[in-house]
Amino acid sequence: MISVKNISKHFGRHQVLKDISLEIAPREVVVIIGPSGSGKSTFLRCLNGLEVVTEGRIVINGVEITHSKTNLSLVRKEVGMVFQRFNLFQHLSVMENITIGPRQVLKMSKVEAEQRAQALLEKVGLKEKAYSYPDQLSGGQQQRVAIARALAMNPIVMLFDEPTSALDPEMVGEVLAVMKDLAREGMTMAVVTHEMGFAREVGDRVLFMDEGCILEEGAPGQLFNNPREERTRLFLSKIL
Amino acid sequence: MSFYAIVSAAMPQLLYGARLTILFSIAAIIMATILGLIFALFKLSPFSVLRKIGEVYVHIFRGLPLLVEIFYIYFALPMVLPMHKWFDPYFAPVAGAIALALNEGAYITEIVRAGILSVDRGQTEAALSIGMNGFQTMRFIVLPQAFKRMIPPLVNQFIQTIKDTSLLSAISLSELTRQGQIVISTTFASLQIWTAVAVIYLAVILSLTALSSYMERRFQIDQR
Repeated sequence: MISVKNISKHFGRHQVLKDISLEIAPREVVVIIGPSGSGKSTFLRCLNGLEVVTEGRIVINGVEITHSKTNLSLVRKEVGMVFQRFNLFQHLSVMENITIGPRQVLKMSKVEAEQRAQALLEKVGLKEKAYSYPDQLSGGQQQRVAIARALAMNPIVMLFDEPTSALDPEMVGEVLAVMKDLAREGMTMAVVTHEMGFAREVGDRVLFMDEGCILEEGAPGQLFNNPREERTRLFLSKIL
Repeated sequence: MSFYAIVSAAMPQLLYGARLTILFSIAAIIMATILGLIFALFKLSPFSVLRKIGEVYVHIFRGLPLLVEIFYIYFALPMVLPMHKWFDPYFAPVAGAIALALNEGAYITEIVRAGILSVDRGQTEAALSIGMNGFQTMRFIVLPQAFKRMIPPLVNQFIQTIKDTSLLSAISLSELTRQGQIVISTTFASLQIWTAVAVIYLAVILSLTALSSYMERRFQIDQR
């Protein structure tokens, strides 16, 4: 589904990603953990071309997104992304936030787009908020709308960039619940998070990133209980 | 003659001038807004050639006195470019409107650019992430949010444009200021006529201000 080969990323002279390779299989949930500044968000943003890699190749569903001739818009509509700060369109209602992609990008009719949006809102438990505006919603509600907005494009893979880091603690659970449902339904997911409980429960594989490298990877049980690397052990001891 | 009698005798001529002032203002504001939008997008473009063009435009037309720009387009350019023949017999109003539009457009470029930059980068990223192209992102996500914030400085600039039409009197266009001068040249009633001219300018500008605060309220309610 996603194949990453030897990518590197520089910001000026600073190298944030160092020769990373990774395969993500269909229906797999990969959780990426690591200290801040380790490059995990940058890595995730490379997967839909929001950041351009300096070297290496990324192939998603057979399309090489790192090729200069690739139309990134075509790839991005199949790759959903959820941001740390939600990034809902402030001037649009919840309904419009969810339908604008299907209507403008997929050229779906208004009626059909709104029916699907209703179904998605039900799925994330916000049926009654369809005509609210983002600034009238709590953080947790906004993030669930953002998930619905991404799902409305019918993506084949979902990227989550620290989806619960900007939330008040009591709202983390509602967002994680939606993500767990998605994982159970078989969505392919790459999740950058500090929620170790989530990683343990739904992650098929956990990657530990540090200083721009994937230092260690493994099944959650193995990586959390029995890390091979000293730095992984140190990181886990600080946050668990 | 009483103040009232002088002013009312001059009123038809002054109102004719006011009509032209309003027409020049509308033409200049529309053209300047289009120019401003185009050059703001140029200045924010990923292509360095377009960025350079936008910068040069703003530097030149913001950097020169408007009166010099009017004289340049009306008197100097026809020496190398037979514009006066293309637009004959309407060259004076065309040159005047173009000069105004180019000048105000340079300021509007910076207003639009600042408005676009004030929209959080996350909005653009979210739009791109659902597969929108650059045009759709601008059209549906960034510009609507930027526009709301641009209303106050734009209204400022529009008011400036209305006032700047008075400089067109220098190339004998019979807008309000010029009409005032003409009336005074025969009646010598400076105080009465300039007072009337001032009141008419204020009335035009205050009605624009009223319209804009109405628009701003509408946008707060409907568009967030």
